[in-house]
Order: sequence, then structure tokens, then C-alpha cells
Amino acid sequence: MDNYSIVGKRIPHRDAVEKAKGSAVFTSDIKLNGTLHGKILRSPVPHAQIRNIDISKAQKLKGVKAIITSKDTPQIKFSISPTWADKSILVDKKVRYIGDEIAAVAAVDEEFAEEALELIEVDWEELPAVFDPLEAMQPGAPLLHDAVENNISKTMTMECGSVEEGFAEADLIFEDTFQTQAQSHCSLETHCCIATCSPTDDVKIWVNSQAPHPLRQKLSAALNIDAAKIHVATPFIGGGFGSKIDLEPAQAICVLLAKKTGKPVKIEHSRKEQFMTTRMRHPTISKLKFGVKRDGTIVAKRAEVVIDNGAYNSHGPAVMAYNNVMFSTLYRVKNIKYEGQLVYTNKNWGGACRGYGDPQATFAQEVMMDMIAEGLKMDPIDLRLKNANIPNEITANAVKITSCGLKECLTQAREASGWIAKKAGKKKYRGLGVAAMIYTGGGSIGSGFNYSGATMQMNADGTFHLLMGAVDIGQGSNTILTQMAAEIMAVEPEAISLTTADTDTTFPCMGTFGSRVTFCAGNAVTEAANGLKQQLLENAAEMLEANPDDLEMKAKKIFVKGSPDKAVSYAEIGAASFYKKKKPLVAHGYYNGPEDVSAEFDPATYRGYPAPAMVFGTHLAEVEVDPATGKVEVLNFTAAHDLGRAINPLLVEGQIEGGAVQGIGWSLMEDLQFENGEIVNPNFHDYKMLTIKDIPRITSLLIETIDPNGPFGAKGIGECAMVPTAPAIVNAIYDAVGVRIKELPATSEKIFKGLKDK
Amino acid sequence: MGSKHRIQITVNQEEYDLLVHPDRTLLDLLRYDLGLTGTKEGCDEGDCGACTVIVNGKVVTSCLILAVEVDGAAITTIEGLHQGDELHPIQQAFVDSGAVQCGFCTPGMILTTKALLDEIPDPSEEDIKHYLEGNLCRCTGYTKILDAVNIAIQQLK
Ligand code: FES
Ligand code: FES
Repeated sequence: MDNYSIVGKRIPHRDAVEKAKGSAVFTSDIKLNGTLHGKILRSPVPHAQIRNIDISKAQKLKGVKAIITSKDTPQIKFSISPTWADKSILVDKKVRYIGDEIAAVAAVDEEFAEEALELIEVDWEELPAVFDPLEAMQPGAPLLHDAVENNISKTMTMECGSVEEGFAEADLIFEDTFQTQAQSHCSLETHCCIATCSPTDDVKIWVNSQAPHPLRQKLSAALNIDAAKIHVATPFIGGGFGSKIDLEPAQAICVLLAKKTGKPVKIEHSRKEQFMTTRMRHPTISKLKFGVKRDGTIVAKRAEVVIDNGAYNSHGPAVMAYNNVMFSTLYRVKNIKYEGQLVYTNKNWGGACRGYGDPQATFAQEVMMDMIAEGLKMDPIDLRLKNANIPNEITANAVKITSCGLKECLTQAREASGWIAKKAGKKKYRGLGVAAMIYTGGGSIGSGFNYSGATMQMNADGTFHLLMGAVDIGQGSNTILTQMAAEIMAVEPEAISLTTADTDTTFPCMGTFGSRVTFCAGNAVTEAANGLKQQLLENAAEMLEANPDDLEMKAKKIFVKGSPDKAVSYAEIGAASFYKKKKPLVAHGYYNGPEDVSAEFDPATYRGYPAPAMVFGTHLAEVEVDPATGKVEVLNFTAAHDLGRAINPLLVEGQIEGGAVQGIGWSLMEDLQFENGEIVNPNFHDYKMLTIKDIPRITSLLIETIDPNGPFGAKGIGECAMVPTAPAIVNAIYDAVGVRIKELPATSEKIFKGLKDK
Repeated sequence: MGSKHRIQITVNQEEYDLLVHPDRTLLDLLRYDLGLTGTKEGCDEGDCGACTVIVNGKVVTSCLILAVEVDGAAITTIEGLHQGDELHPIQQAFVDSGAVQCGFCTPGMILTTKALLDEIPDPSEEDIKHYLEGNLCRCTGYTKILDAVNIAIQQLK
């Protein structure tokens, strides 16, 4: 075992004290003199042509400082990729969902802003709307985007081997259809931004963004402002879960209003706006067909998936690609076919949501695996072990696997949960269910980019300053990245101060998503720290008249190994570098990988998906079902995750527990419900998430496979923690009472009905 | 809007004499008039608990109560718990247990825990869950929050 003194330690979040004192400043807490309040007029109808917008009455209202409509916005469309761009900041001619941005107001206070919105008169012609993706694909369905036939925004077909031959070879065929519902991220902090614009048109925006550097690019493109003139700063961020990655129209609107008024402008989403407009988890319908041998070998699998995109693309095409990759790459199967269709409907748009298309794929595949195990009379864990991925392999769809602990996850979860004994002594109405998962452990360079940068410098007093583009949204990257740097510099993490996620001062980082920060930013930070360490050793060698290779670093001193009494201190080296040599010590690190992208990578099919590492996991749930009501209680929950190395087990457990609970919520009750395009539960009262009363005992198992390319061997964990939760729960429900849920969420009503129909 | 009302309140042991609009919520008064931004707004509808403060010993969701309703009251916000650099044992327990991730729910969680332990110094697991049920957290899955409360109970004994 490697002997590290800081890496691997259970160190509390470095900003927890500030947060516990209430002194941590979040975006909404910033107060600038003369700040105006921005509000957005949103469409109350799901589909309509705008004939005219009359702002004259609103303009007369005292207290209103600016009103903007599409006329004031460059008519440039955006999405996460320019090739799929389909959304305007403020709509021009047509609204496509309830919540679409029509106009915006800046006023001296919120009341005036709201009153002004009421005075804006919009003349529309309502259009027929379509809410169901299967209906939207039919000929003659109302079209959301004129040029997009049958509302199919994108399709993706990937085949490797031949599924037809595979099915012919199989002893048994299993077919079924699975559905998943919309989920809302529900970060406790809603979207908020404050923008200023100087007379020379220099823009500054304080914003809770998961991807500040890409946000600068997107604001620049959408508003036609030079990126160098935009400064994005991130205060503390109250959670994201994917909702704060893409450009939010409110952010661009805020900048436009600041530009127009010359005053700071603040826009903060209400909770209702947050539910209405922040990109739900895409609902899916997945039709699966699996061919298996009697011994459990899967010889072919096919998925036909319809993804409900909502009104605009945002992340949609990439979510479909991930749905494909994660379905196709889990298990060693030779013949695979994936056919996906991404379909527009007049609803809130889909976006990135913890797991990025993977929870939907995993729900379908892992419930199917349970059905196959039953059909073969095989233990569900054995069936998975039989087909499990292994280390150092190129999969049939050309994905490179380096470290892989799937088998260890399965066997250790079996052990820790008491699976064998509990199965043998099965109690009535109690059941156990298992599910496995795969995901990226370090983002992907599929878009051409997967960058993270860091700079580390030594101060004149021998302390250190680390600048990194990575943004901590609560997951703890500031803590674990500093731990890595501290390990290398042989100091306590407190000896390192931080500047993070600020586009004017830090190297770019693509953002916090794709479970990429530990891996990508970790590689950047370790490179910077190792570079600085080398400089430190060279300087010390000069001062000690020794060879750098013979030196040791300890307790902020450097000395020749074995002679600690003749040492130079970090403070002496720092002072000398500034005042004698006039060459302050600084080193950079920059990651953008993986570099060895397979020649087989095809962006059209995502065959050869280029991730720097893949991660694996197993969730195992024990539930009890009340036969009188169908209510499910999750009693015990075991989550085993292959994360390369746990840089900080305390924080890793936090990710796993939070993910599992979010996953249980999606399994059993979270459901963003629409009626004629309107969300009927846009509040925490009607949209139910788990409370402290609902949680099971969670056992986290950290499977350390030490990835060859990860910093200290680490891979990502954040999103993975909710990927296999739903199928584990649903399989446990089946084990308990024999009711097979194929449509999430597994509500008491559905289970009760299943029990009655038996 | 109506004319302003005069209220006298004590916040974190400091006395205030204030003129407030009759429709000003306690949350906005604390955050925007007194600059006590440790109290958070997660929903403004009484559903999330992020805005929890203690009024005369009882937990209150400050987004649902008007400033004029607390005239004469003693209020504790998150800023009133620690003594200088020294954290209150509940705050310390939250830090040490890893119960703070994004931290947006944290002030409300800590104050609810404070009110609980002031009322029931040795609560059962059921008591704890009953008290904290109204405080939502999306990051932690609550497990480490329960750990923190249990550590705080020991510390305060
Ligand atoms: S902000 Fe008051 S309960 Fe949510
Ligand atoms: S720590 Fe983020 S909501 Fe609780």
C-alpha cells in the first residue's frame, strides 16, 4: 500500500466552517450599490406564434429602467454545441413551451419589475401542441422547429457485430419495454446571477455556474461580445447536479440589461421558475431485446430508445450518445445495436442531470438482467459476474477500459449485504435487488475538449497558492484537489490558499460534470505541484550545494536525506526566490485528454467513446413492501463503487450517500408531472423528494483499483452514485412481492395495483 | 404597500429598532435589511427549511412569517451561534462529520438541531427525524447529517 500522509485521509470540506457559520457568500448574497432587479416574462402557453409585443404601457411605469425583447438580442441561437443550436435568448416569433423567455425587465425593485411584466401585452396565435414523444413523431403532428421533420431532432444508430446473428445463436430471447420519467435537479439554491457592464463594455458576471469558462464562451457567442471582455466569477454554489452547466437564458438577459442600464442587475429564479425551466432529466422509452445462452452468456443485445427532448436541444444529443455508450459498454457482449431518437415536445427542455442518460439506460438494462436471471433460474449476481467487464480490455464498441473493479463491486456488495443468507431465509414481503453500472470516470474528449488547468506558486513566506479553473459546487473538489497538492509539497492542506473558477485569473476548466473534476483537474493540479516541487528541490540544492535527487522534503524544510539538521526552510526558499533571485517559483499543469483517442472513435455513433477512464459500481437494496398499501420501505442499501482511489473517504461517502438518496427518490416518487405542457407540481410540496425520515442505512464500499492514468490512481464518482439505484430498488420490489415495475417511478399505487392484478 | 410599522427585535442578542413595511417577510428583513445573509432562501414557500431561524426558542421558516409578526421577539440566526472563531458544538459536529456539502441547507439544519437539543437534550432517532423532516438537503443524503446530530448530542452532554 502506498504510504501517503494527506491523500486517503478523512479530512472535512475545507469550506465547511464558513458554511456552518453562515458567512460563506453565495451569488444571491452579493450586494452591489444601485442594483436593479431583473425579471423575465415567460410564455404561459406551450406553443404559439407571437404576432406582436407591446411594451409601451410597461415602459411608462416609474421604476422601470429597461425592457428588452428579441429586438434587443442578437438573433444567435445556442445549445451546448453550436451544431445543435436551436434556442434564442429571447424568442423571436414563436414560443415552444410554458416558460419560454419572451421579454425581460430591469426595475428598481422586484415589485416594479413584476408589475411591469404584467403590463407587457403579447398578441399571440396559439398553435396546436404535442406533449408525447411518440405522438410527436407521427406524420401530421404539430412541428416545433419548422425545419425538423417529425420533430426528430437527432437519431443515433450504432451497431457492432451483428445482433441478428447473435439472436440466432441464442438459446433464449428476452424482450421488454421500460420507461423513465422526468426528474428535477432540485439543488437547494436556484439559478442566480448579478451582472455589471462598464462604460467600456467590460462585463462582469457573478453566477452559480458549474462551467464558468464555457459560460464565458457561450455568453460571448450568444451576445456577440468579445470573450476577453467577459469576466465570469463564481461565489459559493448551492448544488447543481447538471442544472447549472448550460447557458441559462437569464444569464445572457442579465448581461443585456446591465449593458442597457449601466447598472448592476440581479436575476434570481423563483423555485417555480427553477422547476419550469431548468432542463429536466430526459424521460425515455427503451425497447430492449437480449439473446442469451443457457449458461448466462449474453450473445446479443439491442436497444431502441425514444428520448423526450422537450422544446430545445441543450444537452439532448449528447445525453443520447451517453445513453448509447453506457448501455452498450456495460458487460462483455459481442453483438450490440443501439438506435436512439431524440424527439421535440412542447415541454420543459431536457438537460444534463446527474448520470447524463445513464440512469435511464441502466434502469432498462438492469431490470432486464433481473428478468433474464429469473428466466435462467440463475442468481442475479452470478449472471452479472458471468458477463462483467474486465480490466485492460477494448470492448466490442471500441471503448478502452483501463482499471475495472466491477467484479469486486459485485462480490463485495454481496458479502456486505448478507445477500446469500438473506436470500436463503427470505421473509415475506421483503426482497433484495441488485444492479450494476458503468460510467466515465473522467469526462470524455468526444467533443474535442476535456480540459482542466492549474497553476501553483510559492509565496515569499514559503506558503503556497493554487489557482485552478475547477469549480466546487459542494462536492468537495477544493478539498480533494488541495489534498493532492499538499501531499506532493509535503505540507498540511491549510498551507495552501486557493483561487478557483474565475475566468480572469485561473486557467480554464471545462467544468464540473461528467464525473471529471477529480480525474482531469486532479491531473492538472498534480502536474503543477510536481513542477513546483522540482523547482523547490533545485533551489534548495543550490542553497545546500547538493544534488536535487538526494534531497528530502519534511516539515516545510528540505535537507539531504539523513541530515535533517542542515536544512533550508520553505520560507527561506520563498524569500530567496522573490528577493534574491527575483524569480518567483510557479508551475502550471494542464490536462486535455485522453490523448490516445481510438482511431475507431466516430462522433456519429459514439463507437470508440474516448473517456480517459471508466468507473463501475453495484447497488444492492433491501426493501419491504406493505401489501395493504403497496408502500415501499428501503431498509438497507449497499453501494459499492470502483473509484480508482478514494482521495478522501469522508467526501466520497458523502457523494455516494447523496447519490443513492437522489436515486431512491427517482425510483419511488420524484416525477415532474405535466398536464397539457404545464408542470403541475413545480414546488417542494407537490414534487416529493426524500426527507431525513425516508432514508435507509447506507453502506458505502470503496473499491480501489488504482487507475494507471488517474491522479494518485483516482477516478470520478459524483454522478455514478445514482446510476444503478433505481433498478436495484425495482428488482428488490419484485423479489419482495413479485410485482415487476417497468415504468418509473415505482409508486405505491402501481405496486398495489400489481398486487391486486396478480 | 401601506405605511411602515415600527418594530423592536433582538437578533443574536443585539437590539434593533426598525421601520418595516407590513408585507416585509422576516427572511427579507434579515437578509436584505440587516445583512444577515447566512439565512438562505430555497423556495420562499415554506417547503425547504433553508430559511429556518429560531424565534423565542421555536424554529420558524422565516419566509412564511412577516417581520411585523415578530415585534418584541428574540431571534437567533446562524450568525449568532459561534463565539468569534469558536464554533458552537453543533456547528463543529456538522463540519467534522462531513455533513456540509454545498452548505445551502446547512444554516437551517444547524438551527433546527439547536432548537431540538434545547428542547430535548437526549432525543431518540425518531425525535431527530421528526424535527429535521422539514429541512431538505439535496447533497448529502442526510446520513452524515444524522451522524452530526448524534455527535453534537454527545458533545453537549
Ligand atoms: S425558503 Fe423558507 S422554507 Fe424554503
Ligand atoms: S449540503 Fe447542499 S443542500 Fe444540503
